[in-house]
Amino acid sequence: MASISLTVNGVAHRVDVAPEEPLVWVLREQLGLTGTKLGCGRGICGACTVHLGGTPVRSCQVPATSAQARPIVTIEGLSTHGDHPCQRAWLEEDVAQCGYCQPGMIMKTAALLQGTASPALDEIEAALADHVCRCGTYDRIRRAAHRAAALKAEEPAK
Amino acid sequence: MSAAPNTTRRDFLKIGSVTGAALVLGVGWTEGAEAGTAPSASFRPSLWLAIASDGAVTITVHRSEMGQGVRTALPMILAEELDVDFAGIHIAQASPGHGIEDMGTGGSDSVASAWRPLRRAGAAAREMLATAAATTWGVDRAACLTEQGFVVHRPTGRRLAYGALVATAATLPVPQDPPLKSSRDFRLVGQRVRRHDGPAIVTGSATYGLDLRVPGMLRAVIARCPVIGGSPARWDAAAAKRVAGVRDVAPISTGLAVVADSTWAALRGRDALAVTWDEGPNAAFSSASFRKQLEDAVARPGVVTRRDGDATAALEGAAKRLEAVYAYPFEAHAGLEPLSFFAHVHDGRCELRGGTQHPERVQREVAKALGFALDRVEVEVTLIGGGFGRRLAADYAVEAAEISRAVAAPVQVMWTHADDLHRGHFECASLHRMEAGLDDAGRPAAWLHRKASAFHNLTPPTAEELADPESYSGSAWGQYDVPYAFPNILTDYSRVDIPVKIGPWRSVFSPPCTFARECFVDEIAAATGRDPLELRLALLEPASFTVAGQTVDRQRFQRVLRLACEKAGWGKPLAPVAGRRVGRGLAGNVYDFYTHLAYVAEVSIGAQGDVRVHRVVCAVDCGQAVNPLGIEGQIESGILWGLSAALKGEITFEAGRVEQSGYDDYPVMSIRDAPAVEVHIVPSDGRPGGMGEPPVPPIAPAVLNAVFAATGRRVRRLPLRATDLA
Repeated sequence: MASISLTVNGVAHRVDVAPEEPLVWVLREQLGLTGTKLGCGRGICGACTVHLGGTPVRSCQVPATSAQARPIVTIEGLSTHGDHPCQRAWLEEDVAQCGYCQPGMIMKTAALLQGTASPALDEIEAALADHVCRCGTYDRIRRAAHRAAALKAEEPAK
Repeated sequence: MSAAPNTTRRDFLKIGSVTGAALVLGVGWTEGAEAGTAPSASFRPSLWLAIASDGAVTITVHRSEMGQGVRTALPMILAEELDVDFAGIHIAQASPGHGIEDMGTGGSDSVASAWRPLRRAGAAAREMLATAAATTWGVDRAACLTEQGFVVHRPTGRRLAYGALVATAATLPVPQDPPLKSSRDFRLVGQRVRRHDGPAIVTGSATYGLDLRVPGMLRAVIARCPVIGGSPARWDAAAAKRVAGVRDVAPISTGLAVVADSTWAALRGRDALAVTWDEGPNAAFSSASFRKQLEDAVARPGVVTRRDGDATAALEGAAKRLEAVYAYPFEAHAGLEPLSFFAHVHDGRCELRGGTQHPERVQREVAKALGFALDRVEVEVTLIGGGFGRRLAADYAVEAAEISRAVAAPVQVMWTHADDLHRGHFECASLHRMEAGLDDAGRPAAWLHRKASAFHNLTPPTAEELADPESYSGSAWGQYDVPYAFPNILTDYSRVDIPVKIGPWRSVFSPPCTFARECFVDEIAAATGRDPLELRLALLEPASFTVAGQTVDRQRFQRVLRLACEKAGWGKPLAPVAGRRVGRGLAGNVYDFYTHLAYVAEVSIGAQGDVRVHRVVCAVDCGQAVNPLGIEGQIESGILWGLSAALKGEITFEAGRVEQSGYDDYPVMSIRDAPAVEVHIVPSDGRPGGMGEPPVPPIAPAVLNAVFAATGRRVRRLPLRATDLA
């Protein structure tokens, strides 16, 4: 076991991890940040997506030891009041069914909007093509992603 | 998911308890009970409504939320009749015992079965509150109205909040026949209402089973033999325990449980076990061997599930005869949230928590496994990250209880996606032998549909069940209830036994039968030069018929077929897609005798045989639409579910093992594959029908019929492969 330091949603944590232990387990089982979902555990489904140093990553594929020194943002830290444009858009479009994939979908879309203010449908689909929603809410996810871009454009510049 | 889902139920009400200043109503339904009977020991409430003195309204929902919106739709129905602000309703999740039962969530019957009892409960409470206000004011009850949580005295405008009236109301008799609102007066039912759990989901605070954290809780995974019926012969427990964090290796009924401080350690410990398996008697089972059994079975008559006229003679005397065999694959649920359950066995009790569609079954099976009385087993239900029938089984909860007992600690067991694909239960593969006889004028005179498949076996069928013809029709939804009026109909079922577990899967027996039926109707249309819509409408006279005591309303089915076609531009040319062949297909179904649904699918096919579904137009008549936003969501979802089976993955067996392990080799539809979906709901004030499952069955045949329209190729085996069309 190694003792490492992780900065998650602006808070520094000291945790003991096994060699190669993926970040997702540390977030969920040690830090109690269960908003990051464990899906396939093999990097296929995207449910565990978080931002690492501003980049979306699959936390089941990132050893916790390699996530030191870069800020980690999870769905719990995406916004202060649950009002990130993606979160608002997801509610307005009533996207979620079982909802289990949606934190990963939202984190991936939020990252997309960081770099692409007004993504085209192709860009949204490319970003989410390897995210699985078994309930099949994709049509609403497309609409919500467009709506999130519009909501973000309305926000005062930070 | 019973074979006869439309059980007639009568509901009644009583004051469950009056605790302090609160009005509590139990809402129940018991077979054959008379409305207005005195409270008795046989009263079995299934939903509870409580109004507290501060006006807080709590509804205890007895069904599990897995994305179908039950924690939104049921409270809407209650709020409508009670006349309160929907946004202010608190929702509690029921546990077995505590006077609540009928908690299995399956068969798409939550809204259908709760519709009348919930309305009556809301109306009775409203009536009691209005009467309490009239008594308080000393005025005529008829002069009192309700308005969003208040009783208002119309002549004077005086108002009292519900909370201020509950103490008085709780002393009044419960009206057994309270007046219900006319559907014209609905203010909430029929509106587009967003999911109750939405805000928790998008902020990550929603708690699913795998999210549970209990002080002292250990994590476990299980090494199970990849071949069902096998068992561990040798293993290296010491190697597993050398993995940091691994506490124990406990043999249980289904395999070897590796128990650790973290799930990661448990997974690594399992890798280290190096188990040698005694594979048992089923190591030769394969998809090919089962297919051979199905082929033999479908070639010979089975147990008759419906007989109208003499189809055998009519087929023999037909001027022209069509024959085809359709094949549906094994499918898995592949929900996104890994299965998990928490158990803590201590002091002669067992506490259980997790995502289950059937907490009563969990309670029953855990009690049996541990040898406990039912009341020593408590089950708490969490949100479910994908149910689809998988969580109607209790296997994973029983494992958790066994492990907790073995290691004397609170434990959560988790199944990886591969664990579930390998040792979960499946939609069974089936073959469908279809025959039609046409007379001299090309009119269909006879219809034969023989299904060969295996029964559900999570609980092995008893000898009585195997001898009962209703078990066979109950395993052939969409077959014996064929809605079309062929003069002679024979449907039968040839049963094949299977060693792997077969059980509920979203819409259960209907997708394979509906696929074969709706495609074969199009084959008749093609063979006789008729339009598929025109042929169906011609076959939907007279207006209704009865089979197995249930009535199929052909007019309602006609209406959705017409509406879907009208909205989709049926008969008009499709816009070309460069380099691709395009086509449009129609299919429909009456699910559970009540939800009428039709699709028109638009597809294109590339030179390599790849199929894209561009647009699906749906028309649905499900009776009163409680929440159109939720209904549309279930249709979007059911389309994708059905298309994953029709166009993407299948489960195959070789050497007794499942060959797939995850979304990489058992792919499902992606955002790039998802069609645009357009839903048209037929206005109705009839009783609501289910919506979780009915959207699944007709999508595969609509798409396969569209593929035929585009290519002239009739694909009769799912999932469709590009090589079928290249």
